Formats: sequence, C-alpha cells, structure tokens
Amino acid sequence: MKRAARVAKAVLPKLLYAVALIALWHGAIVAFGVKEFVVPSPLAVFEALFSPAKAAQYAWSTHILTTLGEILVSFVFTAVFGFALSVLICWSSIARSIAMPIIAVLNSLPKIALAPLFLIWLGYGFAANVTIAILVAFFPVVLNTTTGLDAVDEDLLDLVRYLHASKLQVFLKIRIPMSLPYVLSGLKISATLSVVGAIVGEFVASSEGLGFLIKDSQAMMNTPPMFASLILISAIGLGLFASIAVVERVFMPWNRAAEAGSAR
Amino acid sequence: MNLATLAPRLKTPAVIVALLAIWQAAVVLLKVPEFILPSPLSALEHLFLPQPDANYNWGVHIRATLLEIGIAFVVTSVVGIAIAIGLAWSDAVRRLSMPLFVFVNSLPIIAIAPIILLWSGYGLATNILIAFLVSFFPVVINTLAGLSAIDDDLLDLVNYLHATKMQVFVKLRIPNSLPYIFTGLKICSTMCVVGAIVGEFIASDKGLGYIIINSQYTMDSPPIYAGLMLVSLFGVSLFALVGLAERILMPWARKGVEA
Amino acid sequence: MTGLKAAAAALFAAALTAGGASAQPMTKIDFQLNWKISGDHAPYYVAIEKGWFKEEGLDVNVMIGQGSGFAVQMVDAGKAQIGIADAPVPIEGRAKGANVKVIGIIFDKHPNAMYFWKDSGITKPQDLKGKTVAVPASDGHKVMWPAFASLIGVNAADVKFVNIEPTAKPAALGTKKADVVFELYTGKPFMEKAVPADKLGVLLWADYGFNAYAHSYIANTDFLKSNPEAARKFLKVVYRAWDFTLKNIPESIEILSKYHPINRDDFVANLTAVREFFKTDRYRNNGIGYIDPARMQDTINIVKEKGVEIKTPASDFYTAEFLPNPPYKFNF
Repeated sequence: MKRAARVAKAVLPKLLYAVALIALWHGAIVAFGVKEFVVPSPLAVFEALFSPAKAAQYAWSTHILTTLGEILVSFVFTAVFGFALSVLICWSSIARSIAMPIIAVLNSLPKIALAPLFLIWLGYGFAANVTIAILVAFFPVVLNTTTGLDAVDEDLLDLVRYLHASKLQVFLKIRIPMSLPYVLSGLKISATLSVVGAIVGEFVASSEGLGFLIKDSQAMMNTPPMFASLILISAIGLGLFASIAVVERVFMPWNRAAEAGSAR
Repeated sequence: MNLATLAPRLKTPAVIVALLAIWQAAVVLLKVPEFILPSPLSALEHLFLPQPDANYNWGVHIRATLLEIGIAFVVTSVVGIAIAIGLAWSDAVRRLSMPLFVFVNSLPIIAIAPIILLWSGYGLATNILIAFLVSFFPVVINTLAGLSAIDDDLLDLVNYLHATKMQVFVKLRIPNSLPYIFTGLKICSTMCVVGAIVGEFIASDKGLGYIIINSQYTMDSPPIYAGLMLVSLFGVSLFALVGLAERILMPWARKGVEA
Repeated sequence: MTGLKAAAAALFAAALTAGGASAQPMTKIDFQLNWKISGDHAPYYVAIEKGWFKEEGLDVNVMIGQGSGFAVQMVDAGKAQIGIADAPVPIEGRAKGANVKVIGIIFDKHPNAMYFWKDSGITKPQDLKGKTVAVPASDGHKVMWPAFASLIGVNAADVKFVNIEPTAKPAALGTKKADVVFELYTGKPFMEKAVPADKLGVLLWADYGFNAYAHSYIANTDFLKSNPEAARKFLKVVYRAWDFTLKNIPESIEILSKYHPINRDDFVANLTAVREFFKTDRYRNNGIGYIDPARMQDTINIVKEKGVEIKTPASDFYTAEFLPNPPYKFNF
C-alpha cells in the first residue's frame, strides 16, 4: 500500500499538471476564437492519435518508430563521439586548436541551410537523418565536457602532481569523475537537440517519420495530426531529458538542484 | 610582441584558412558543379566585388543580421541566467517550468515559426524571439547546474554558521556557477547566430539569412556561401568574445592539461 | 525686412496647411506574398517605385511569403488584408471557416510542371509510374497532384514521393537523387543551373488538360466589406503594374533588383516565362485577372475530390467585383 501511495504521490501532481495545461489550451482556443486550421483543439488532436477511424490513416507506429529510432541512435552516437572527442581535445592541445574552431564554425551554420548539400552527400533515409541529428546535437556535449575536464581544482592538481601522478592517472581518476556535472548538463542539452536534429533531417528529405508527417499535414492544413506529431516529438525530448536526470540522480546523489535553501 | 606570444593567437585563423584552402582544392580537383558547391574564391568575389547582374547590398544585410545577433545574445544571456536563478531559488517553480522548457526546446523552430509569425508579425522583435527560443536552453541548463553543484561539506559549513538562503545564494552559488554560465554562454553564442539566421529565413526580407534563402531558391550559389562564410565568422567571433570575457572575469581558471 | 519675412513665413505656413487639409489619410495595406521573391513579384515593386499605390492613397507593405497555406492564415487572421495563394488553398480554407475570398487571378494558364532528365525516357506524365518524385510536402504541386493523377489516369500509389526542402529541388534532380521534380514552369531558368538546358525535360500539366487556377489574389472578407474602395484601387494598380511589367520586362527586373538581392539575368528569363501564362485567349478577350466561373468550379471540384466538405455555392469562394473596370486588355 505504501509503495502505491509513493508512486501516486510522484505521478499524480504531474498528471494534474498535464491536465491543467490541456484545459488551458482548450480554454485559450475558445476564448480567442482560434480556428481549427490554425491551432486545433486538444480533442481533435486526441482523435487524430487514438480514434480508430481517424488514427488509421496516419500510420502512427511507423512514423513514431522511425523518428524515435533516429533520435536514440543519434543521441547515443552524440554522447559517445562527443565524449571521446572532448577527451582528445583535453589531452592534446593540437587537437584542441584544430577541432574547436571547426566545431564552432559548424555549429554556427543552420543545418537547414545546408539541405541541398546534405541531400547530395547523404541522400535520404535513416542514416542521413541520424547524421544530421548528430551534427546538430554534438556541440554542447563537446563544449560542456571539455570545460568539465579542464575545470579541475588547482590545489588538487598540485597535490597529485606532487605525488607524481601521470597524465593518464590524472585524467582517469580526477578529471573524468569531476567533470560529471558538466557532462550530464551537456547531455541534457544535446538530448533536446537530438530531437530537433532528427526532425530537421526529416525536413531536408524523408518519406516517413514524425517530421515528414508534420510537413505533410501542414500542407493539407490538417492541423490535428500536425500538432499531435509536435506533441509526440516534444514528449520524446522530455523522456530523453528525464532519463538523463534520473542518471544524474543515480550518479550524483549529492547534487540536488532543488535544495537551494538547505544542504539536504 | 614576438612570434612566441603571437603564435597561439594565430591558431584559430590558421585552421580557418586551412579549411578554406581544402574547400578550394576540393572544388577544383573534383570538378564540383557550381550549383552544388561554388569555390570559396567565387563566393568571396561575390562578396567583395560589385557584380554586374545583381545588387546584393551586403552592407545593409550584414548590419541587419549583426543587430539581431547582438540584441538576441544579450537578451538571451540575461533572461536565461535570470530564469535559471529563479529555478534554482524555488523548487516548485523549477518542477512546474522545466518540463515546459524542455517541451519548447524539443520543437524544431522551423515547424513552429509560422505560428509565431501569425501571432507577432514580421519585425525585429519576432527575429529576436526566434533566436531566443533557439538559444536560451543551454544558458538555463548550464547556469542551473552551476548554481547546484556546490560542495556538500561547504554547504554543511555555511548552514552550521546559520547562513540565510539569500546569503548562500549570493556568496556561494552564484560565484561558483561562473564557469558553468560561461560554458552556457559559449553554446548560446553559436546557437544565437543560428537562431537569428533561421529567423531571417522565415520572417524577414533583410539580413544574411534572407540573402542565403533567396539565393537558394534562385540557384545563385556564390552568394549562398558568401553568406554562410560570414555567418560562421560571426558565430566564431562571438564564441571567441565570450571566451575572452571568461578569461578576463575568471583569470584564476586554468585551461588545458598540464599534468 | 521683418515684415517681409513674417509675410513669407505666413504664406509658407498657409501653403503647408492647405496641402495638409486636402491630403487624404493613406490606407495601409499589408500584402502577403505567396513565397520568396521571384519574377512574378516584380509588378508590386514597379508600382511602389513609380508611386502608383501612393497616387491611389494606398500605403502598401509587401511581406515575404511562406507558402499558400501561410498566406491564407495571415489574410484570415487580418494580419494581411490581401495576399497571394494558389486558388485551391483559400477555397479549402474558406470551406473550413477562413474569412478569405479570391478576388483576382494571376496566371491564367496553369503553371505547374514536372522536370526530369531527357535520357530518363519520360515522354508523358503517365511515365511517372514507378518513378521517384521529389517535392516539398507543402508545395502546390503536391497538393494538386491527386487531382492531376486521376485526370491522366495514374494511380497515386504507383509513384513514390520523397519530401524535400524546397531549396533542394534543383540539387535533387541535378544529382539524380530523384527521377522527377515538380516545379513551376517559370522556374525553368533556375532548374537549368542544375541540369543543362539541352538535357532538361519539362512537361506542363496544362498541356495534359489540367485546368485549375493557381496563383490568385485573396482578400480578407471583413476588409472587403469595410473598405471595398481600397480593394478596388489595389487591384487597379496591381493589374496596371502587370500590364506595364509584361511589356517592360528588363526595366521591371531592374526595379525589382533595387529592392532584393536577385540575379537580373535569371529573373528576366523567369519573368519572360511568366508572360507565357498570361497569353491566353481568355485574358485577351476578358482582360488580365478575369475569373472564369467554369474554371473556378473546376478548381472547387478538385478541392471537393480531396475530401473537403464544400457546403456553400461556388460564388461564396470568389468575387469579380473588385477587378478593374475596364480591365487591362492587350494583345501580346
């Protein structure tokens, strides 16, 4: 009974919050007289997703699985590749001098502007979308991780150097563990960017996926499935973000963002 | 000012020049058609030399974009940090708003920009808003992380000394979060540029983004890449500026691996 | 001396206020284009440059477009009083409750086309069976494709579609990532940059019987009710500008290039192609902008076939009462 009560306590407020937001949405549409072809009502969106008659025409499972797959694969690659690159950057100042400007340049370019180039180089399909998503999402991971690996307490560094620790030992035993808050924040930012990147990839060229569905239904002024797709996309982003937050609580239990007023 | 002190500063420009050289060589050697990728020389020529068959008015568009980036970056930094402080101060506010922020940030701006436009119309404010929506999240997340990542023992100590929440905040959390804030601002710098340009794709008839998108639709390749070169120059410069500010405001922070 | 100065000042002031008293307040019109700048937008800038809008007391603000759907939304919301959209879109919008109506036509001949490499063996639209077509989802071609497909007897499922970014159209065809690209016939000069002119194949939908209206002027119905004179004056200036533009293509593009960073040579070719879509008997006999009720009904039927419920008669979707009278007619 206690376990159920605890679960309820955790879930119920969030559920009520979601319901309140939906009610607000519905109220705003009615109050401002917004027409369906601009912003649909929550009910229309619900129907597009779940009503057997309407939902069938959209092949939801195909689109959701495609996009979810793209996001997850690109996020894993981003995290692993981003972390590896950061370690390399911190290890070698030559790598740092070469890689950082390139990354900064790449990240200043809106990927959607490179759509024709991407289409030519990558074609279209799952791999192309994953590549674009990685390009969109990896900068925060790299930047945060390198900052984290760099930002080691000076006294600590002096101490271990006094104890003749090797560069590798410093890395493994001090820099990497101490960079954890930075790394996890970087991953949180990249989580939402992986979502955006996968969708941008689908906008560039695709024949399925939630991004494809958004464009397709936008064209028909068919807003319910379009908004349903947007909500699903954001839900995936939220899920990914929440997962990282859970990892954060597990690996850094001492780091409580909430308790700003006390130590516990 | 001898070569030894100058050399480190030349690293980034050297890398960029090297990239341009590789690009030029690739286009020439692989005989890439101009509609796919023009050479950097062709792009620069369209930027610096008056063209017989078009008025690009680069000055007007560069100024428009720089203005947007400048204002957007300042607004996003200030508001982003303020939001993070608010979230760190109040647990309730954080639990209510964080899901909304994540939700908003997962939406590709290109998909929701038309809805924004319908509501706020064309104009500088809309462009700033779009750039803000694209780039505020890293500032908020990183600042929040910085405000929270206080050493446990230190917190115990100040609590033992009966420090108030406000004192803990001002004297401990905020100074501790500076490296995080700067990391967030660095990410924000390049994303602000992206946001400003994407905003111009959708909601403008001025700016480098406008030249890029217009030239893309009319297959006028060299100005596209001239525009993109300028855009990445602005991004890298803003990034470097934030790094400079970081070195000035936090001279004690050591960079790089010595051990 | 003082007396003379004072008298001069008084006269000057009188002249100013006299001018002010007879000046009419300008009507502000926010004009929403259908897309980014192309040759067929030249007339509006010609009219601005030559002061024709001002003469009629109109202060026109031209807004860059995001597509027909967006134009319909902006005009419906009253954020723009007049706009340009592909006719099926405002029709569908109105059926769904939008406050918009078509008030004038732009292209009389339907400009949709398909592009491909000549060596792909495509000689007629039916050859699309089994091919891959790259076209943006919100493109007018994609929206009207089902109607065209059923007209020429092609099964929709036999053609594979890939959604692409609009900017990637020439690249998609140029690098053969797709067999066919849908684009307006007037976009030929731009497509030729990706596929050499002698290798580029084009088929015009109009040549295969596709008759629907495409680019049209739409207006907010409340605005039409409250300010019909302004709408009339707007169309009068616009069609006057079309008349001038199509007779003076290089000069018009010169004017357009003052306002936007366009390549003049490409746009002259583009606008020259546009002129072909005004050269119809219907326009010769009835003037440019003329709305043919039968063709409007065809366009409405196309929207009906998409599954949209049309509950009101055809006359609900358009009106010819704001077209210039007498119309601009000339022999090309």
